[in-house]
Amino acid sequence: MDALIVIFISGLISIFAAFAKKPVVVLLGASGGLMVAIGLIINQLVTGHSCVNISYEGLSFDPISLVFSLALSVFSLLIISVGYERFKEEPEHTGEYIGLLLFSLCGAVIMTAFTDMFMFFLGLEILSIPIYVMAGSRKHDLRSNEASLKYFLMGAFATGLLLFGIAWVYGATGSFTIEGIAAAINNGAGDNPILLVGILLILSSFVFKVGAAPFHFWSPDVYDGAPHAVTGFMASVVKMAAFAAFLKLFTGSFGMESVREFWAPALAILAVITLFVGNLSALRQVRLKRLLAFSSITHVGYTLLVILSNDNLATFDLWFYMASYGFSIIAIITVGLVVNDAEDRIEALKGLGKRNPLLALVAVISILSLAGIPPTAGFFGKYMVFSHAWNDWWWLVIVALINSAISIYYYLRMLGTVISAEETPSEKIKLSPLTAVVLLICLAGMLGLGILTPFILS
Amino acid sequence: MELLLFILPVFFALSVLVMPQSVVRTYGLVGGLATLALTIVLMANYNPAAGMHSFVSQEWIPAYGITLNFGYDGISLMMLLLTTVLVPLILLSNFGRELSSNRLFTSMVFLMQFGLIGVFISLDGIWFYIFWEITLIPIFLIAYWFGEPERKAALMKFFIYTFFGSLFMLASLIGLKSFAPSFAIEDLKAVTLAPEVAVWLLGGFFLAFAIKVPIFPFHTWQPATYSKAPMAGTMLLSGIMLKMALYGMLRWMLPLFPEALDCVTYPIIVLGTIGVVYGAILAIKQDDMKRLFAFASISHVGLIAAGIMTADKDTLSGSVLQMLNHGLIAVGLFLAADVIERRLGTRSLRELGGIAKQAPKFAFWFAALAFASVSVPFTSGFVGEFLLLKGLFSFDSVIGIVAGSTLILGAVYTFRAYQLSMYGPVKTSAFADLSLSELIVFAVIIIAVVFLGVYPKAVMDFVEPSVTDLLASIKQTPIVP
Repeated sequence: MDALIVIFISGLISIFAAFAKKPVVVLLGASGGLMVAIGLIINQLVTGHSCVNISYEGLSFDPISLVFSLALSVFSLLIISVGYERFKEEPEHTGEYIGLLLFSLCGAVIMTAFTDMFMFFLGLEILSIPIYVMAGSRKHDLRSNEASLKYFLMGAFATGLLLFGIAWVYGATGSFTIEGIAAAINNGAGDNPILLVGILLILSSFVFKVGAAPFHFWSPDVYDGAPHAVTGFMASVVKMAAFAAFLKLFTGSFGMESVREFWAPALAILAVITLFVGNLSALRQVRLKRLLAFSSITHVGYTLLVILSNDNLATFDLWFYMASYGFSIIAIITVGLVVNDAEDRIEALKGLGKRNPLLALVAVISILSLAGIPPTAGFFGKYMVFSHAWNDWWWLVIVALINSAISIYYYLRMLGTVISAEETPSEKIKLSPLTAVVLLICLAGMLGLGILTPFILS
Repeated sequence: MELLLFILPVFFALSVLVMPQSVVRTYGLVGGLATLALTIVLMANYNPAAGMHSFVSQEWIPAYGITLNFGYDGISLMMLLLTTVLVPLILLSNFGRELSSNRLFTSMVFLMQFGLIGVFISLDGIWFYIFWEITLIPIFLIAYWFGEPERKAALMKFFIYTFFGSLFMLASLIGLKSFAPSFAIEDLKAVTLAPEVAVWLLGGFFLAFAIKVPIFPFHTWQPATYSKAPMAGTMLLSGIMLKMALYGMLRWMLPLFPEALDCVTYPIIVLGTIGVVYGAILAIKQDDMKRLFAFASISHVGLIAAGIMTADKDTLSGSVLQMLNHGLIAVGLFLAADVIERRLGTRSLRELGGIAKQAPKFAFWFAALAFASVSVPFTSGFVGEFLLLKGLFSFDSVIGIVAGSTLILGAVYTFRAYQLSMYGPVKTSAFADLSLSELIVFAVIIIAVVFLGVYPKAVMDFVEPSVTDLLASIKQTPIVP
């Protein structure tokens, strides 16, 4: 709870600090606030109680929500640091961008900690609304405007579905809280068709939020059009928060066998469609962020297996998978941002090894991690997800493995571009120290997460 | 001490990156020899009768059933020996070639060695898989950076093909683990499966191994990749990397799924035998020397794979010996092709001729290799192929006879290549004789091959007790009706 307050206050500070027209002040305020928040979260994880004792029944910061919040805050810190290079080009707006990111992060943190539908809905909206604005932050860029509008319209529609679904579930169970719904279902509300309709509506809105097929059409355009930092934020923070809430709701409230057998097959079919749609569309992309959008659809497909897996380690699987994915995607987006190609072509990464070895190394490792090749964290994440999904959904795991093999094609093409040496070397790229630190942190995350697993688990 | 097996290659892979350009090659050679020395020390301290020497055995992530389990027996030691002997030889044979970056090349070779060593000493399914995949990255980078101009399509095919196979192995591992408490090989062995489940799970492993070996009909990536990769990449691929798959069949596939062996043994042996004949016939028609040796390789390893599947003591020992032998000879033959290409810029047999007159030393060593390759007595190939063919013959006499044709066909393609390139009218410009580094590589290989041919007991002493243990664990597992 105290971390949430700190994040919110540093968001406010960022907005007011913008009056100083000194971007660096905003950066210091925001990153300082985030670091304090991260410290508070770690403190609460280690000692077991928070510094400020405010309790509110709608939110409960148990260890699970804390580890999710920790990852979310770290990702936001990384993104603010890399995005700063671009934000500071418009000193009068820097504070707004960073402030909006922090407010959005507040929503994400709420989504990991909610205990009733009301807080969940609030968290989702706090998370989404700043992103609608952020996606359109390149005001003079047509694609950025399109991204913003598209995301907003589709997002509003999904929100409507969600509210509608919550209402149906309330009608069937008479409760807003996760436990209340679960108790009502155990007492026989599970057979009520009203409940099932409600679940289906909530499921659709989740599928929209995480960008799974067939509700994925917004994501390539939005990823492609939004500024790099916002794309990175959507791929790492928004996805992680949405999946955390997804898992919480669908194992906490709708996890009973009687209800599960209703939504699980539907979700399994969606997962298959998502995997193939994402992969097959990614095969021929030439723009980096567009490719990453389709690859992220595929990753959503793998992650849906976690929701299906019905295992008590599923939460950790999800955390690990999204954390490894977050580090990888932030790393590769940073590379794209630094290379700064106007058309955002993958071709622009050619000969990166000659232009900047560190950048090339990070790009290679992140591509390997996205593809799930050992010893990167991406592999461990995939392994964990697949191993727990195997018992109930072995055929789905095989489909997912086949898709991993397909995805190798476009990752390999990207890898080949990064490491190609024949090109006449263009000018060297100089990294700002801040970006270099971010890249190194991502590198450590991608290589170290797997080895750290025993410590995190305990 | 044993942990140095991991530390040394990583240390050299990283430290070579900061070495000054002038000493990189020597430094790499020193590193290769250091790991070789380590292997020899380990071999000296190993008692073949003691069975598996497990030096790390503890839990790692119990929640996911991953353990830290590393160890070696006689078979693993022979594979380690092969790896650590070939790495310095491969580095040495590259002395005559200008590369765009020696640092990266040497570093990648050591990374490759790290992965290979890991594969040969992992006793936990997930670690085996991790190391198995780690080897893919350096070999891809070596071939990508230093390969021939039209390499990209071939490499793409190679990577996707092998990765595809490996994923099925991962699926099988996960499937098998769902019956066992952990991925440790002993736990996995203890699982008793229904035969119809076992066949599917074995299928996943087989796909991964069959693609990597490659066994007919999973070989289509191989000739293109071998001929487009740089010489060192081809040596790594054929000399060591495909031994990984044969080793995997021996260590993982046979002991884990004894329930399924009844119905898969015969088909796999038949596929292996088809590969023997098919590879040899295609090799006879080749014009490109590298492609020729690539097809010859399909032929040789098909025989080894078939021999492994007989699950018979002598045949298995013979297959391990033949793995060593094939690794050495393949490196030698590819070096011979490279020596020619380096000097003349072509590998096409049609354009070659009369080299023997210009370079007698080269002609001598190449001839020695050719004889070793067709398994004349007193070379290790003779002992290995004899044991393999004997095993196949007693398994099924028809298969034995068909596989036996490798002796004749092998002689045809090897000597055809030798004759067309070395004898006849001189068709090419001046041909400088072997340099010192090339000479050393050829000499080491020939000496090793002859030594193993005269005194195979040196290897057999290590291999036979381990093979006996391995087979005992297969036979003991009760078979559910």
